[in-house]
Amino acid sequence: MLRWRKLGLVFSPQALPERPPWLAEFAQAPATLLFDDRVRVFFSCRPPAGPAGMYVSRSAFVDLDRGDLTRVLCVSDEPILPLGGTGEFDEFGTYPVSVVRGGDGYRAYYAGWTRCESVPFTTAIGMATSTDAVTFEKAGRGPVIPYTPDEPFVMSGPKVRRFGEAWQLFYIAGRRWKVVDGRPEPVYKIRMATSPDGITWTKHGEDLIESRVEPDEAQASPDVLLRDGVYHMFFCYRYSSNFRGREFGYRIGYARSTDLTTWQRDDDHVGIDVSDGDGWDAEMVAYPHVFEVDGRTYMAYLGNGVGRSGFGLAELEGDLA
Amino acid sequence: MKWRKLGKIFDPDTHGLLAGCVGWAQSPQPLVLEDRVRIYFSTRMLDPVAEGKYLSHVAYVDMAKDLETVLGVADEPVIALGALGTFDEHGIFPMHVVPVGDALYGYTTGWSRRVSVSVETGIGLAVSRDGGRSFERAGDGPVLSATMHEPFLVGDGHVRRVGDRFHMWYIFGTDWKRYAPDREPDRTYRIGHAESADGIHWTKEDEGRRIVADVLGEEECQALPSVVEIDGRHHMVFCFRHSYDFRTNPERGYRIGHAWSEDLRTWTRDDATLTVQPTAGDWDSDMLCYPNVFACDGRVYLLYNGNAFGRHGFGAAILER
Repeated sequence: MLRWRKLGLVFSPQALPERPPWLAEFAQAPATLLFDDRVRVFFSCRPPAGPAGMYVSRSAFVDLDRGDLTRVLCVSDEPILPLGGTGEFDEFGTYPVSVVRGGDGYRAYYAGWTRCESVPFTTAIGMATSTDAVTFEKAGRGPVIPYTPDEPFVMSGPKVRRFGEAWQLFYIAGRRWKVVDGRPEPVYKIRMATSPDGITWTKHGEDLIESRVEPDEAQASPDVLLRDGVYHMFFCYRYSSNFRGREFGYRIGYARSTDLTTWQRDDDHVGIDVSDGDGWDAEMVAYPHVFEVDGRTYMAYLGNGVGRSGFGLAELEGDLA
Repeated sequence: MKWRKLGKIFDPDTHGLLAGCVGWAQSPQPLVLEDRVRIYFSTRMLDPVAEGKYLSHVAYVDMAKDLETVLGVADEPVIALGALGTFDEHGIFPMHVVPVGDALYGYTTGWSRRVSVSVETGIGLAVSRDGGRSFERAGDGPVLSATMHEPFLVGDGHVRRVGDRFHMWYIFGTDWKRYAPDREPDRTYRIGHAESADGIHWTKEDEGRRIVADVLGEEECQALPSVVEIDGRHHMVFCFRHSYDFRTNPERGYRIGHAWSEDLRTWTRDDATLTVQPTAGDWDSDMLCYPNVFACDGRVYLLYNGNAFGRHGFGAAILER
């Protein structure tokens, strides 16, 4: 089993001395980009809810000191992406986002949110480019990877990786909307696509991770790290009902693969769980992102309320094996 | 070449509809059989859970090859609507049926309602193995839908096999726009082209290209392309209108357009050489829409809807040379 030393909540919008309206609360789905002196952590946040209790999500970043990741250097002045126009897939949110170096600068893959009548929302994955990793320009008004018969809605949670020449996109696709106490809740599974250029994607077309806690288990945030020829995936999963509390809420899972297509799920190995007591991560742990800085391995993750109060870090003790 | 009108050939008030349907026989789409022409169309039920809104279902009428005699009308929809949250949950309109091997492929346009705009669409595939009386969808999602440069409202798929390739002409949205502060957003769409080796997996070779020139300017909407070969030249018939104030204003409503091509890629807009015009005082006095051009036993026919978007049925015309 892996051993993680929790470093606590490292970024909380609510703890900032001042903050803009779009950063009222939440710092969800952390994803890093390494610079010489800092680690830029992209995250998604929300202004206060609108009249019907509906939120929009924005994405921004916080820079952490590369020498001391618990030290916040600065927060982006503005969201990194505008919301989409009327009727576009990202009109009501851009969340989450994953950034990689490539092309002539940086590429961001993000989920765009729109609102539906019979279900609360659907999402699709878009792409944007940047020369400075501060502001991004959308590559088009529509999604970069379309819905297909087996991936019909709620395509989200993109994590982009380049392990060699090819581009890998790990993401989730909705399987069905399950009505729980009169409310439609999405069930989604982890999927993958491959591309020679990051623009034209070929879907793998299979679930990567078998469901464990129930057939309608929802799986999110597939985050993959390559070390010594082995791919390590950290993700989160939850039950399909009553998942907003401790008992059935998000936990972090683990799987390994040597070929990116066949994965051995081994949640017992992951070594991180909810804290005892009433701390910020005592009810749930979710949206893991694992990254390496100067020979150390860290996990950024969310706690209670799926990141309502921000994200925290844990540091791996020992090897990732 | 000119069209000689055969008049209205199917009237739901006279010939009847599926149980529960309240009118409309929209977008007639033929399947030429040995002894008859099966004409699929979309008809409407009231949505029991959304007051004042409709659900479109696909039915058919069998007609003798003279297009005058009604042989029978389907008594149930040929395909069920999609599950909760899917792209074809709130209607299928239209459906184009193509023989492929021993099966029939039905290319559906699925409708699902949105919040900031009225609707989103995608093109699905459903397969019949009982001669076209019932169809089973290939999956919960579409085979062709929004992409980077075709950001929404992909629909109206019309498929033809030419040589060993499948060609699809379809429409994609270019704009959702509010033309006055108190108006709901109106949509604009144009005709595009995709190709496939198997009729299932489609590639938009030239994504976002509007293949047919407009005559009304940027706000021209083009819909329901269909293509037939006449004397070695490809002819496309479609309908077009202004983007707003088109429902009740005959000056701005749907008319029939035409373009031709030698190579299936470059199209010359040329409404005048194959025109069909309103007949004053008749069922198509104010509007002509949702055309389909097809060949049957050496003759070329046009099916189309007239006033009020086909609320009271559809008619036909025969090509005279």
